[in-house]
Amino acid sequence: MTDVTRNPNRPAAWRQRLGWTVLALVGVFALLGPWLIGIDPARQNLAASLTPPGARHWLGTDLLGRSVLARLAEAAQLSLGLAVLSALSAALPGVALGVTAAWRGGRIERVLVMLADAVMAVPGLLLVLLCAAFAPGSYMALYAGLSLSLWVEYFRMSRAASRPILAGDAVQASRLLGFSPLYVLRRHLLPELAPMLGTLLAFSAAQAVLALAALGFISVGLQPPTPELGLMMIEFLPHYEEAPWLIMAPVSLLMLTVLGMMWLAPERAPA
Amino acid sequence: MSNTSVLRVDGLSVHVGARALLRDIQFELPAGTCLTLVGESGAGKSLLAQAVMGNLPAGLQARGDVTLQGVRTRAQDGQARRPLWGRALALLPQEPSLALDPLMRIAPQLAEVHHRVVGRSAALARTTALQTLQAVGLGDAASHYPWQVSGGMAQRAAAAMALAGGAQVLLADEPTKGLDRYWQDQTIASLQALMQAGGAVIVITHDLRVARALGGQLMVLKDGAVVEQGDTASVLQAPQHDFTRRLVAADPARWPRRPAPPLGDQVLQATGLRKCFGERVLFDGLDLSLQRGERLVIQGPSGIGKSTLGNVLLGLHPADAGAITRAPGLPMSGLQKLFQDPGASFAPRATLERSLRDVAALHQQPWASVLRTLDKLRLPHTLLRRHPHQVSGGELQRMALARVLLAKPALIFADEPTSRLDPITQQETLDVLLDEAQHINAALLLVTHDEDIARAVHTRMFSPWAASPALLP
Repeated sequence: MTDVTRNPNRPAAWRQRLGWTVLALVGVFALLGPWLIGIDPARQNLAASLTPPGARHWLGTDLLGRSVLARLAEAAQLSLGLAVLSALSAALPGVALGVTAAWRGGRIERVLVMLADAVMAVPGLLLVLLCAAFAPGSYMALYAGLSLSLWVEYFRMSRAASRPILAGDAVQASRLLGFSPLYVLRRHLLPELAPMLGTLLAFSAAQAVLALAALGFISVGLQPPTPELGLMMIEFLPHYEEAPWLIMAPVSLLMLTVLGMMWLAPERAPA
Repeated sequence: MSNTSVLRVDGLSVHVGARALLRDIQFELPAGTCLTLVGESGAGKSLLAQAVMGNLPAGLQARGDVTLQGVRTRAQDGQARRPLWGRALALLPQEPSLALDPLMRIAPQLAEVHHRVVGRSAALARTTALQTLQAVGLGDAASHYPWQVSGGMAQRAAAAMALAGGAQVLLADEPTKGLDRYWQDQTIASLQALMQAGGAVIVITHDLRVARALGGQLMVLKDGAVVEQGDTASVLQAPQHDFTRRLVAADPARWPRRPAPPLGDQVLQATGLRKCFGERVLFDGLDLSLQRGERLVIQGPSGIGKSTLGNVLLGLHPADAGAITRAPGLPMSGLQKLFQDPGASFAPRATLERSLRDVAALHQQPWASVLRTLDKLRLPHTLLRRHPHQVSGGELQRMALARVLLAKPALIFADEPTSRLDPITQQETLDVLLDEAQHINAALLLVTHDEDIARAVHTRMFSPWAASPALLP
């Protein structure tokens, strides 16, 4: 019987493994890359401007003669770090508020839903832009902006998922037996929310990576000379004819990272 | 007419891998007759219906042939019978709540069948749907969503939809489950009307009264094999196989009346209770007092608010008016509930051992005494390693009872605790429940549709709705 039920999930499990592999590769590159490459990503060498990929610089150099591989590793570290951090710090308040809304209902729920709807009404990127405008080029402003726009999804998801659980027989039985709300949270809500949270974390981290790159690309995010994927793309864009490998590098890394995160989400077989 | 076979099944078996779930089923249904399937839960009754329909779960292989109105198809080839669904072959599934679309009001759902399957105009389909709903007593619920009506009402709505397409062969999986006697008889009558019109019916049921009323043939299944098959009246009168004899003996109609234990202290006193659902008044000015040791059976037609009354008494739902006074010193956990679906009353992702250990720790009971309770309830300890969905309904209900007993309740509210169980398991489970309630001298508040069970169990009947016929559907 187990074989019958597990079969349809096979491709999804395989896909998830692929996602983990890709992300692990990007992660190793981001964490160990700068140390392994051993080249200062900020060191300029105007004599070696736009050199094609070779033994010394595997991905060539940019206009200022800086090693693209070294810069890419720094950029990957930055993007992944900021994405994971903002996804996590959006998840905590998002889930807490979502569960609170479902639990308390009434006025508290209405106020929270209104707040979430208000945030939803503003495009996410605009919210990040607003924050970035307060402190241009600051990590903190970007991080705060990303978290502020990402928590809403956690809120909506956990509120919607908590409501039927809280109204269900299992929670009713636990309450009758005298268990505390903390127990209901630990034994009933979190085990049910966890798989959905995993999926959502992957998606919102991907969203954060993309948002960060998009802001860099329109030059309102982090400022040069910080190595950042979006910034690198806009720096490389003018040279796409003479040195097409340059723009390929940040675009491929961005694509791999986001794809890896997307693949992590378990795809449920239709019932 | 009576000689023409509407449905014929030859050598039907269902396998998963090498394991046979259903073996060598053979029957023939002439027009105007019915076949009733009885047996333990998990004996393969629903599987048989699915195999005949042609909607077996993926991974199951069927062998044999199904001949429907003279057209012979291989049992495995479900696709071949799919065009006949609704028109010639209809299924009334076991869980009406799963069969109905939760996002659509009841009348439009029925109208859709008249419109799309039968091909009536949209306007005619609408009026026909409303007429049908009136006839089955759902006139007021026509514009409700399925989740707004009671289980029994959803059952009737699903039955109306299954029959709307004019199918000649109906497979009904527990069509009277969750219905009170009046609507049970109505359902039986509508099945009989279908037979008189030249149709054929296969009914799966736990209720031998339904089998007797329908007549026709009876097939007794155990572990996927037929143990006895023949004319319903004669099989039930003189069962040949030991299993059939146990089944007949477990019929609630044959249960002896349980003696009433002496009454103890008062547990609960309710005065002037009132509860409304929107416009509808479920009860008003209701007075009730409960004492330890008594077994109170709440009676009333389906959807009238019996479960709600129990929930209000337990403090799970607030009353709109009135007061409930508990015995002094009685903690919140002194009132406990057994649910109709015990599977849904356990945390789904925790093992049963985890859930029970949590309760034992909370109520400061040693684990050894939990294991003793399990032994007394005849529950093997190996079940503890499983998750709720991996345990059968009867065992789960006893597990739920074991959990409730840990809280040393003064009152147990049992909401249709055995309606999903086969007669043998039902009797075992209810016996254990009654013994234990008596042992700890708890009051029992029982909601049941089964009048025979009510008669055998009660020390007091409580039917606040009998006096006000205006509330009856």
